[in-house]
Amino acid sequence: MLAVKGITKKLPDGRLLLREISFEAKKGEFIGILGESGVGKTVLLRCINGLTTPDSGEVILNEDGNPQKINGKKGQELRRIRRRIGMIFQGSILVKRLSVLENVLTGGLGRISTMRSLLYGFTDKEVQAALSALEKVGVKHLAGRRAETLSGGEMQRVAIARALFQEPCLLLADEPVANLDPKNTEVVLDYLKPLTKEMAIIAVFHAPELVSRYCTRAIAIKDGTVVYDGSPHLSSSVLEYIYGTGPAVKSA
Amino acid sequence: MVGVLKRYKRVFLPVVILTLLLWGGSVICQVEPAVLITGVPQGLDLLRQMFPPAWSAFPELVGPALETVQIALVGTVFGALLSLIISLFAASNLNPNRKGREIARGICSAERALPDLIVVLFFVAIVGLGPFPGVMALAVSSIGMLGKLFADAIEEIDPKPLESLAAVGATKAQIIRYAVLPQVLPSLIANTLYRFDVNIRMSIFIGVVGAGGIGFELLMAMRLLEFQTALSAIITILMLILLCEKLSDALRKSILGQEVLR
Repeated sequence: MLAVKGITKKLPDGRLLLREISFEAKKGEFIGILGESGVGKTVLLRCINGLTTPDSGEVILNEDGNPQKINGKKGQELRRIRRRIGMIFQGSILVKRLSVLENVLTGGLGRISTMRSLLYGFTDKEVQAALSALEKVGVKHLAGRRAETLSGGEMQRVAIARALFQEPCLLLADEPVANLDPKNTEVVLDYLKPLTKEMAIIAVFHAPELVSRYCTRAIAIKDGTVVYDGSPHLSSSVLEYIYGTGPAVKSA
Repeated sequence: MVGVLKRYKRVFLPVVILTLLLWGGSVICQVEPAVLITGVPQGLDLLRQMFPPAWSAFPELVGPALETVQIALVGTVFGALLSLIISLFAASNLNPNRKGREIARGICSAERALPDLIVVLFFVAIVGLGPFPGVMALAVSSIGMLGKLFADAIEEIDPKPLESLAAVGATKAQIIRYAVLPQVLPSLIANTLYRFDVNIRMSIFIGVVGAGGIGFELLMAMRLLEFQTALSAIITILMLILLCEKLSDALRKSILGQEVLR
């Protein structure tokens, strides 16, 4: 469904951050991306939905047999594809001065016309859908609160509700559980995991044990290339190689 | 010895030059303290003639006073709308086009450089006397300050929510509506209310040059030597300013709550 083909990204100083990254993702998969910090995991996610433009390579979203190249697209075409890709940002970026409900509704902006969103806003039906998205992640009671009054765990759940309301076929999550305590980490991931019934999820993780517990597949990046792509249960020698200076290992 | 002379020169010369400049300027401007002192009885006489204020004039002043408030109100609202539009083009995080930004910022600085009186006279020349040129003048003279403050407020917002909306496929206008405006709204309201306080005073002042309202009534009373009516107008103006400040304070509190202002 998603094909990433030979993505290369240079840093402004000319150093190669990502070199020829390629992989595919299918519906039902929960892919955990691992790697040392600064290795370019976030940039890779951003290349997938076009927030960052790769220097070379292709990202192709193929939903119901209609492949669409994402990179290189602009304006309305880009917006149409982005509508299908949800993204949960590191530290869940909500608009702090809007209510929780309004934040969820912004997930649907790609679907409605500019005129309508400026003059009229959202319909009752859309509000109901947004409320049921909040209910699915167990924070419906917070709908009327301002986003800035929420705790980190609550914000992350609202971010998931926003992605749900967007109804994407691919969900990108950049460290969805960073800065969350163990209990909230579990809660958030328990809400994310069942979503793979309807979409593919690609998430950046810091903790390999979470990848082995929740993901269906792991991809590891080191020195700008994919050094591991396979089972989410990584052996200690593989982990040593990814995070340290251990000897190279073959992908499982 | 030489060092002392040098220091002496460094202090002495500027003092001499400054003294000469001040003296020359005073002569040209006809600064004569004696006139000020001999004028004191005249001033007292004027004040004596003003008392008591003409109570009967107050009912007639209510209309012009309201007109002054309306000029300020409509002018401020139009000015704030104009400023918001300009600020969207002037903010670097919304407008990637450097030339366009410079033009928008340039309009604001040019307006700030222009004395307000000239703006009023300009609109009086275009649309004639009355409240309309006053409204236009206040609207235009607000953009110098509000346009810049709005643009600065927009540039200070957290950029991440903008990106998160771009990621769901939102258009620029939608991003402005749902991520930019909510973040800058407190600053927009606080600055607009402050500008309203400024515009009330301006509105009185521009009445004198032909925009009607309470300022014009004061001018006419002074010209007709009706000093008691003039005092009534002055009292009305003071009350007007106090009332409007109370009003904008109350609005600020009720809209912005406990939030930090500006």
